[in-house]
Amino acid sequence: MADITIEPAAPSILAQLTRTRIIALLMALVWLPLSAYVISGVTPGGSADYMLLPSIPAVILLYLIAFRAWRESWVAVLGLSLVCFWLLVAVSVPFLPLFDPNKPIAPFQIPFATKGENFYLLGTDYKGRDILSRTLWGCQRVIVWGVTATLVAYMVGMLFGLLAGYLSGWWDEIISFLGNVLLSFPVMVLFIVILNYLGPSGFNIIVAVTFASAPAIMRIVRGLALDIKTRDYVFAAQTRGESPLWIMFVELLPNVRGPIIVDACLRLGYTTVAITTLTFLGLGLQPPDPDWGLMIRESAKTAMLFKFSYMLIVPALSVSSLILGFNLMADGLREMSLRD
Amino acid sequence: MNRREFVRIAALTGLAAGTAYAMAGLADPVMAAETGNLPFPADEADAQSGGILKVAMQIQKMEDPATYSWVEMSNQTRHLLEYLAMTGPDNITRPMLAESWSASDDLKTWTFNIRKGVMWHNGDELTAEHIKWNVERWTDPAIGSSNVGLSSISALVEEVDSGEKDDKGNAKMVKKLRDGAITLVDSHTIQFNLSKPVLSFPEDMYNYPTAILHPSFTPPFSDNPIGTGAYGLAELAVGDKCILKRITKTTDGKDFTYWGGKVYLDEIHYYNFDEDNQLTAFAGGDVDAIYEFSIEQMELAKAVEGNIIAARTAQTLCCRMRVTEPPFDDIRVRKAIVMACDNAAIKALVYPEGGDIGENHHVAPVHPEYFELPPIKRDVEGAKALLKEAGKENLEVTIDVGNTDGPWHQSVAEAMRDQLKDAGITLNVNVMPASNYWEIWAKTGFGATAWTHRPLGTMVLSLGYRTGVPWNESAFASAEFDAALDAAEATLDVEERRAKMETVEKILQDAAVMVQPLYRPVYTITSKKVHGYPAHPTQYHQFNKVWMSA
Amino acid sequence: MKLIGRRLIQMILILIVASIILFIIFDSDTFKMRIALAELGNFGVSAMDPDDYKAWLVKKGLDIPFYQRFALWVGNVLQGDLGWSFEKNTAVGPLLWAALKNTGILAFWVFALMVPLSLILGVLAGMREGSRLDRSISFISVFTTSIPEIATAIILTVIFALGLKWLPTKSAMISGFDGWQLMLPVMTLVLYDFGYVARMTRASMAEVMTSQYIRTAVLKGLPYRRVILRHALRNALIAPFTVIVLQLNWLLSGVVVVEVFFEYKGFGKLLLEAALFGDIYVVQACTLVAVIVAVTSQIISDIGYTFLNPRIRFA
Repeated sequence: MADITIEPAAPSILAQLTRTRIIALLMALVWLPLSAYVISGVTPGGSADYMLLPSIPAVILLYLIAFRAWRESWVAVLGLSLVCFWLLVAVSVPFLPLFDPNKPIAPFQIPFATKGENFYLLGTDYKGRDILSRTLWGCQRVIVWGVTATLVAYMVGMLFGLLAGYLSGWWDEIISFLGNVLLSFPVMVLFIVILNYLGPSGFNIIVAVTFASAPAIMRIVRGLALDIKTRDYVFAAQTRGESPLWIMFVELLPNVRGPIIVDACLRLGYTTVAITTLTFLGLGLQPPDPDWGLMIRESAKTAMLFKFSYMLIVPALSVSSLILGFNLMADGLREMSLRD
Repeated sequence: MNRREFVRIAALTGLAAGTAYAMAGLADPVMAAETGNLPFPADEADAQSGGILKVAMQIQKMEDPATYSWVEMSNQTRHLLEYLAMTGPDNITRPMLAESWSASDDLKTWTFNIRKGVMWHNGDELTAEHIKWNVERWTDPAIGSSNVGLSSISALVEEVDSGEKDDKGNAKMVKKLRDGAITLVDSHTIQFNLSKPVLSFPEDMYNYPTAILHPSFTPPFSDNPIGTGAYGLAELAVGDKCILKRITKTTDGKDFTYWGGKVYLDEIHYYNFDEDNQLTAFAGGDVDAIYEFSIEQMELAKAVEGNIIAARTAQTLCCRMRVTEPPFDDIRVRKAIVMACDNAAIKALVYPEGGDIGENHHVAPVHPEYFELPPIKRDVEGAKALLKEAGKENLEVTIDVGNTDGPWHQSVAEAMRDQLKDAGITLNVNVMPASNYWEIWAKTGFGATAWTHRPLGTMVLSLGYRTGVPWNESAFASAEFDAALDAAEATLDVEERRAKMETVEKILQDAAVMVQPLYRPVYTITSKKVHGYPAHPTQYHQFNKVWMSA
Repeated sequence: MKLIGRRLIQMILILIVASIILFIIFDSDTFKMRIALAELGNFGVSAMDPDDYKAWLVKKGLDIPFYQRFALWVGNVLQGDLGWSFEKNTAVGPLLWAALKNTGILAFWVFALMVPLSLILGVLAGMREGSRLDRSISFISVFTTSIPEIATAIILTVIFALGLKWLPTKSAMISGFDGWQLMLPVMTLVLYDFGYVARMTRASMAEVMTSQYIRTAVLKGLPYRRVILRHALRNALIAPFTVIVLQLNWLLSGVVVVEVFFEYKGFGKLLLEAALFGDIYVVQACTLVAVIVAVTSQIISDIGYTFLNPRIRFA
């Protein structure tokens, strides 16, 4: 992460503060209902669907705000559009006129097939479940588990990074050594060992991602904290007699935000790859959840034929487009921060 | 007695099945009467010798054939090590290393005449003494063979005080061969004296860990593979491959002659592929045959060039309720669940092709003694009424599913969930990895357990539903049932036994122990150049008469 | 040199901590039971009473407390004995060796194709920053890197194996080595990885191109080609070198899904199967290799960086 620089402070602190609050509120409005919806595992079609209603305008608003802010970089806007498309799908999928993603209707219908009064835009899988419906429902799972896992990894990583960077000394030595132990494992080895031990499930994916990602985050934050620690305003706070915790979270944290956002976008991409891959290997989410990795896993053994290849291609392209969105966003943001 | 039944009994009592078919005036479907008293199918007129048969299967280790725990293991040695009897693809058991057998009227004495002229790979001739050595070995507690659990072998042993004490100070009991349980009549005749009547002695002798070993055997088998079969072990790499080659010379350099007539293949190669990948390996042309493909892969199989082979079996899924666990200790709850399910509809959904509808009493239509009870009817209103009576409206229960036999278990559970909804019952499907399921299968309140095929209906009932037996996962206990099953098991005549099975099946069905929606077929596929590949209900590979066209 | 020594000591510490953790994890009853289930069969285990199970554990050497097993294992490893595989019923050494050899072949071809491809593209893009060529190359590299290996594997299989039927679907190589079967796994890994290295090369090249001495050289009127080949490349390739060496580490992760998808019998497949089985000594051996490769590649990249860039000296 050598090419990360620290974003200069925005001109008007006040203007930025109100904007930050609105964005945070909108994000919470999208995030909380969506994760509650997925993690609680409610059956679609019930009244629980309505809690996702306010998230739809929130996603659109977020998109417009970010679009305005990033319009100078078409790369960032393209990434943003891809991510927001899937986000919009995730919150609005219960209201779309789709088949039940888990209901077997007619197996092995190829795309654009019409059977009886049913029309299958993307065909059906080996069990006869509608692929369009499974793909759209599937993005909910990937997004919720992926973002939650990244979030948790960040909280843990930042906490230890700030601790190590700010407290230094023995704390730094111990935390850095433990981080190095974890970083010496190839990621997939770590995932396999952890998930195999804890058992496959969404929650355990969060644990595994945290173990795999937090050390790297810790390293970045530690470096930034070490750098910023020497700045005047931290020194000022110290002389004011503020407690170390206050300094860490109020003075240091907001100032390491810029590079962390770029890194977070990249890391969201990695986490999405990891979840899909682990689920494909049988270590992630369990059937019958509509999930892209599971769709690939199930189709790889039931449909390895050219005429059925849509079953593999559709989830593969979906997951690729989401990751591309995250990566382009990171790319565009980095470009913009370098330009400033 | 109809003609097919006659064949079945004749085979059971040791009449050569070929002769039995002839006596019944039936055309023998698979047996070669003209090749003598052999358990194998007839030689095809245009069969060609030579060639290598490549089969995709999981490759397991070969430690001690008496403790085999997977069918795959036994398939790897099935052409090296042979059995006293052999159950064919038609579910009929015929003499193999035995030439014939007979049972006393009380089914407590079984006499086996061992085939003469069977040569071991080291040049020795097979004798009754060798058989005795094997059976004694199965009953040795130190070996730990699962064969002791067979009703035939368990009737040869007795529990004695081992002289040791366990932690609580009670005497430790061990199972030991009874004195006089095995008598050698002459060099080729062996007699088993049982402590109780056993019906399934010949069937038990083809249970996969009952392969007959040479007395010089020391584990692991793969280090010193001596058998009586036509093939020898050339190479074994667990998780990779197992190569079998025709034996032409004995280990001491003499010519080897195989007792079982002509065999065609030069070599049999097993290559390791996970069950999920066997069909794709076949489609890619890597192998000529596979161990099994699942119902989910049927469309893929149909699209690949090859012969799809389906075997009708008694393999099944028992969504059984533990009758000691609340709420299933209330028979009204169990009955309501059973009544709200539509077995025929579940079968049509999950296994549309082949297979049989289950009737919640675990005796399959392929079993010879199957008694046809009136078809069960779905009764949602009745189920609701029962629940109301029991005060269990809005019942919510959870079924554990391990998909131990494939994802179709889950499809069954999901179909049940949808059907039970109509009766106001909420069924949660708790899916877990197969290994986790096997840790709780005998303990969970409501679980979907797969049971494999056994040649006789009485065999599985004895294992799974008698009071207090180890595999009684439902904790079903009924003296009446045990007595009725005893009576059925003491009856050799199939027709009479079937009459007795009516009571047995009825008691179990009325106790509403399980929802048993279907008996599944097992599928495999071979390339077009493979001929005579048997469709065995337990996926036992019998390749003696398999041949490959060029 | 001092740093290398410190790194080596660190590596040994890491190895010890990692293997102790693994022993603790695989000491759990779940994993022992998993081995028992795989060996004795489902019904076989349920029919066992606790005494039988204890006897079985003794027979397998699983009753010994994990710290004693760890001590034994360390002793054996130092003598070159990596232990016994419960699943494959054979010594771990040859098993691991065969798997590493296969992964080595795979890795060799991946690097042989990926390194020149990404360096050339990166240099071309970085030479004229902001040009149309640069933008297309940059976009292509983000694009290919964004497609996860599993998706790349699927798309390539559908096109070349199922559609055109040019290449085999799987790479099990049951009748010996087959170059055709190697092509799809190699292509998948190259496609996924080249973008990252190309972007690093581009960034490094772009930086060099804006530096004072290159500008001076161009202004002096030296031929452009010569400036690039003589002056720019040497400095621009320092950063990519580090990245390329570190790809070794990435490859050990990346091969898992590719090897499992294509049924290629390499390190990744061995590790996954062993972990699922609870085959502790195989997992230990694989981890050992993985950590050694990871740390060694870090050390090499550090040394290489210093060697190529005389401005940096180890403290």
